[in-house]
Amino acid sequence: MPVAEAVAVGQELPSLAKEMSQRRIDVYSGVRPRSIHTDEGWAHQKGFRTTLAQGMMSTAFVSEMMTRLLGAGFVRGGTLSMAFIKPVYAGDRLTVHGVVKETRSEGGRTRVVVEVWCQNQHGEKTAVGTASGLSPA
Amino acid sequence: MTEFPKLTYEALTVGEQFVSDTHLVTPEDIEAYAFAVDDHHSWFTEDSPFGGPVAHPTLMANQALHLRHSKYVVHAGLHAKMEFNFLEPIRPGTRVRSRGTVIDKYERRGRQYMVTEYVTEDGNGTPLVRGQFTQMLIPEGTRHAGR
Repeated sequence: MPVAEAVAVGQELPSLAKEMSQRRIDVYSGVRPRSIHTDEGWAHQKGFRTTLAQGMMSTAFVSEMMTRLLGAGFVRGGTLSMAFIKPVYAGDRLTVHGVVKETRSEGGRTRVVVEVWCQNQHGEKTAVGTASGLSPA
Repeated sequence: MTEFPKLTYEALTVGEQFVSDTHLVTPEDIEAYAFAVDDHHSWFTEDSPFGGPVAHPTLMANQALHLRHSKYVVHAGLHAKMEFNFLEPIRPGTRVRSRGTVIDKYERRGRQYMVTEYVTEDGNGTPLVRGQFTQMLIPEGTRHAGR
């Protein structure tokens, strides 16, 4: 898998597309009754139109994008901070985006800071944040 | 014997601590996670730059997120924010445990939140992941209108 050797501020990372199937949500969250993630009736009772994916799934998608960019420098030395601003429902299609916003020296390497976000099929942002990692030594 | 009171904003105390059970990370865990998030990086099953396979960096995030379930019955909640610092890779065969401390609770626009600082460690106590997360409490008998 390619790892970036040179990263420029303003560079847009290749986006990822993720289908939020109930099957994947079930495996991620574990099927339980009285769960807004896996029990549709309970999700309705709590005011949602159907089951929701855990917000945390979006952090995994960003982690994938950052590992594609930086490889081992994200797995050891990476950071990720996200706010979940809109529900992600079963059946949604998310796209995951990133734009390099800063590079800075750190211990003889370069820390690459990326603005990240996920958006649904309606173009609404569902999660926003920042991720960083170290470029290859 | 552990008792599990219902989690309420009033019952929650800033400074209280949680600890998870120990979990053995298996190749099956890593495979299931790869399916769930549709990420099948070769490092999860083959060799990696760290020597041998490693898990997805966020594999154990739910162990941390569920820390409050080690003390309370949680009616319902929503995850508002999550922060990770990935310190060391998570390898299959490692026994991992998460510890957390409630560092804040607050009410904003009629909603109640708690903030937990956590660390996920291996069997030797080596930190693998550190961070904090913010969770919204949905009180029993109420509905969340969605956002």
